[in-house]
Amino acid sequence: MSTNKLIITRSILKLAKQPTAPIMGFAMSLFFLLVYNAGIGGIGHMEAFGDKGYLAFIFPITIISLAMGSSSGAGQTLNADMQSGYFRRLYLSPVSRSMLVIAPMLADTLSSLIFTAILLGIGALFGLPFQFGLVSVAGILMLSLLWATTLCGFSAGIMLRTGQHQSATIVTNAVFPLLFLSTTFLPRELISSQWLLTVSWANPVTYVLEANRYLIGGTSSHGFFILGLLILTITAILSVAFAWRSAKKIKI
Amino acid sequence: MTVEILFKNITKKYPKGPEALKGIDLEVGKGDLFTLLGPNGAGKSTLVKIATTLIRKDSGEFYVGGENPDFDFSNIRRHIGVALQDNELDPAETVENILRFQGRLFGLTKTQAQQRANELIDAFELETERTKKCETLSGGNKRRLHCALALVHRPKVLFLDEPTVGMDPEARARFWQVITHLNKNEGVTVFLTTQYLEEADKHATQMALIMDGTIHYRGSVTEFKKMVNSGEQLTLEESYLAFMTQSHQPYIVTD
Repeated sequence: MSTNKLIITRSILKLAKQPTAPIMGFAMSLFFLLVYNAGIGGIGHMEAFGDKGYLAFIFPITIISLAMGSSSGAGQTLNADMQSGYFRRLYLSPVSRSMLVIAPMLADTLSSLIFTAILLGIGALFGLPFQFGLVSVAGILMLSLLWATTLCGFSAGIMLRTGQHQSATIVTNAVFPLLFLSTTFLPRELISSQWLLTVSWANPVTYVLEANRYLIGGTSSHGFFILGLLILTITAILSVAFAWRSAKKIKI
Repeated sequence: MTVEILFKNITKKYPKGPEALKGIDLEVGKGDLFTLLGPNGAGKSTLVKIATTLIRKDSGEFYVGGENPDFDFSNIRRHIGVALQDNELDPAETVENILRFQGRLFGLTKTQAQQRANELIDAFELETERTKKCETLSGGNKRRLHCALALVHRPKVLFLDEPTVGMDPEARARFWQVITHLNKNEGVTVFLTTQYLEEADKHATQMALIMDGTIHYRGSVTEFKKMVNSGEQLTLEESYLAFMTQSHQPYIVTD
């Protein structure tokens, strides 16, 4: 087995042994799904939500919050290794420095994908529609992958640069307000405040939500999906580049 | 003398910090048990970190086993073993697993890694700790394991930065038994920094004295003692203390 595979396997096993971050993310997603659907699901009959109901509208937020909750996992794994000094031991092995950072990100992303698949299964049990069948499922998983990569890359990069345990959650805390400045709970047609409408257009989370909505209930347009995919691809690349560059600035 | 480690005019200044190394020129011969002595903050650990590719030098060149890390640091890492001041253990892993994983990282097969783990568990008397997690080990056993990890891949050069800190006398004796065996029987070059001068006195043959980022002496341990004591029979520690109270002017003995 190559050293890269060894490091990736170790990261996956580490996350499996200490799954707090992904489980918290999953719990938060379920909370959103159950509470919002039960609490205000009744408004789904309004025309602006389309004919697929409120579940199809609110479901993308569970996908987004899942990665938000678990994205600090890579940063926390790195932090635990740095605190114990073991990171330096790994750093002194022939493994590439970049792989030491990429491996926990891969583990994080993999866990995000698994929990997304579970969420989709739960959603299906609740009667979640998939506009394009399996293509929709594959598309949602792809968006989830890019979103998780974006968040955990920035999270890991910030952790590496600051060396502070708390900084692993900075990204989650920074993204959280963006959820409320978007079309999370209501479609644009029902947002009455002009400033919020303007902000939501500039908010990348809006496009991620709408891209998912296109795949789930078809309540958003094809253009939003393309735009959402494009935005996430760019942010994921930037995030990995940031984490990769941060690997060169590790404070040993 | 075949040179194993070579530093040429190495400088290092930390951001917002002092100039840690001010042009270090130093050679360590193949198979030497070499010790670098100096007070706290003199630059010992900085030089070790540069030599082990943990931090970058500002200028100068260095070679380990003829390899220049400016071109390929991963190759150097295959040839060196490193035990720095702080323990570098994964608290959640067992003694056996962490040794085995270390072997696998350095390219050993599963069988080879298991065999090597067994050898080191035996050499460092960690048999009763084999299945215990690192976080549950005593300070001394953590230290033993930390040092054992540096030897897993049978390095040609060993960098030991204060390796015996926290070890009880028995563990220290056992540690030195292993290190001197490697040095004498397998020709492993040892680059040691320590504040336990009696250990350096007992085991090292060559030494350098660094103060304020500059080498003030380079030569044999015996020569150093002779130089400082003008014929009087003193230990290395006594000689070191005497030297520190004398002039700090550079005094280089070249081989």
